[in-house]
Amino acid sequence: MAAPCRKMASRSYSQLLCCFSRTAVGSGACRRFSVTPIDRATPRASTAADRATSPWSLMAAVCLQRLPVITADCSPIEQRFKQMLQQMELEKSMLSDHELRLMEDAERMSRRQADDYDSDEDLGDQEIMMTQDLEDTWEQRLKNFQPAPRVRADVDEDLTSVQRCLTDSLVLLAEQQVGAEKLWLLPQAAWQEGETLRRTAERALDSMTAGVRATFLGNAPCGVYKYKLPKAARTESSVGVKVFFFKAILVDGTPGSAPTAPLLWLKKSELQKYLKPAYMMNVGRFILNL
Amino acid sequence: MNHIFRKVLLLHTVYVNMFLSFCFVSGTAAMNERQYRDMPTHGIGRWRHLLLKQAPKKKKDRNQQKELVSATDTAYGTLNVTVSGYDMTVVEHYSQYIHNFCNRLNIKVADSYALPTKSTEVLLMQEQGNKTYVDAVLKTHQRVIQLSSLNASLCPVFMDVILKNQPEGVQLSVQEHTEADYQARFKARPELEGLVAQINQIHVPNKTS
Repeated sequence: MAAPCRKMASRSYSQLLCCFSRTAVGSGACRRFSVTPIDRATPRASTAADRATSPWSLMAAVCLQRLPVITADCSPIEQRFKQMLQQMELEKSMLSDHELRLMEDAERMSRRQADDYDSDEDLGDQEIMMTQDLEDTWEQRLKNFQPAPRVRADVDEDLTSVQRCLTDSLVLLAEQQVGAEKLWLLPQAAWQEGETLRRTAERALDSMTAGVRATFLGNAPCGVYKYKLPKAARTESSVGVKVFFFKAILVDGTPGSAPTAPLLWLKKSELQKYLKPAYMMNVGRFILNL
Repeated sequence: MNHIFRKVLLLHTVYVNMFLSFCFVSGTAAMNERQYRDMPTHGIGRWRHLLLKQAPKKKKDRNQQKELVSATDTAYGTLNVTVSGYDMTVVEHYSQYIHNFCNRLNIKVADSYALPTKSTEVLLMQEQGNKTYVDAVLKTHQRVIQLSSLNASLCPVFMDVILKNQPEGVQLSVQEHTEADYQARFKARPELEGLVAQINQIHVPNKTS
């Protein structure tokens, strides 16, 4: 990775050095990440006179995603196409070094077995391992290797587990108290004076789940949802709430210590059952179903 | 008498022809340009003379360093998206995918190059003896896509999509581009460095004396 470089200070702006690596499924179900933020400028505290008082209160929410760990299975037509392409590639390709050596060895064996064999023809140095033996040892080692199962039905059913549905990306939902009722929402927190919205989103994530490490993808929010308070609760200074969403990627698979609120990891298709329709419409626009 | 008239007529026709040809030549044609056809519309389809003169491209210009864009409040500066892995086809296809994706999102791609392949030899201990033997040679391929500037509001979307499409066995890394990165691409020149060291050695005694 390149060493962090010095940058000129810029207002409320931070640069990321991200290194994402995707390797075979190990003990954790997540990719190994490393992030080094270079420049974290402190946000300017705006004086009370600057801000126009608005009746909307601000909140920031985090859309924490666990990326897919393994590739999805191919559909039947994709499988057939893949087979056809592999066949074509095999037929068009040239022989590799290993295959050439196999052919040479076979030729030498047949020459040795021939009746009019002249031992002087043979080269001075005999190889210890024939190429075919090498291939056999490799095949043996491959048979001994047991890959982890791709799909485990019991883990898939458990909605709170991070390791479910390794082929899809999952979103974190938390049950929160909003007004009088408990709703399933993306974890959110109210904005406080003197902090950036992204900082608020980080705080929301920390308060809902302790010890989960996440990388935020940028300072800009990816979506906004505003709702008005019910008529009974509306006052002069608070008409409604605007919620800004920030995207983040899960780095560490461990959920940490017991979370304060019940958490769920859901695919986009399952979100509909838990979110309110208007909220779902807004949130569904920036959650990608790739 | 007749031949005099014929000569005069001939001369007259020649002069008239010359006069006519001067009349029909358009303002932009040179006087010494051959008028292959006498039609007044000759040369009507010419357009290359209307293009601006392009300076001829020199071979040296191709490998000059592109300017480093510095970061502003709303956009990142020059970024390097490095894709690396053991399987060359997968790495190349993924880098092509990212390049096409940037084109589609109108993100300016400054440069797209490959870093040299690094070979890693895997040595395993023999089961019976103490000697290690060469088991496999793994080659790490790297492809770099240099983006000249990335809008901060577009960044989360861009990163999300390329992360979700990252294939297995491929490492992705997004970093700022520095001068050191550019210089690292060049081969070291040991003779030159040796000569420079020699020159410095010769000069230093002179300065002290």
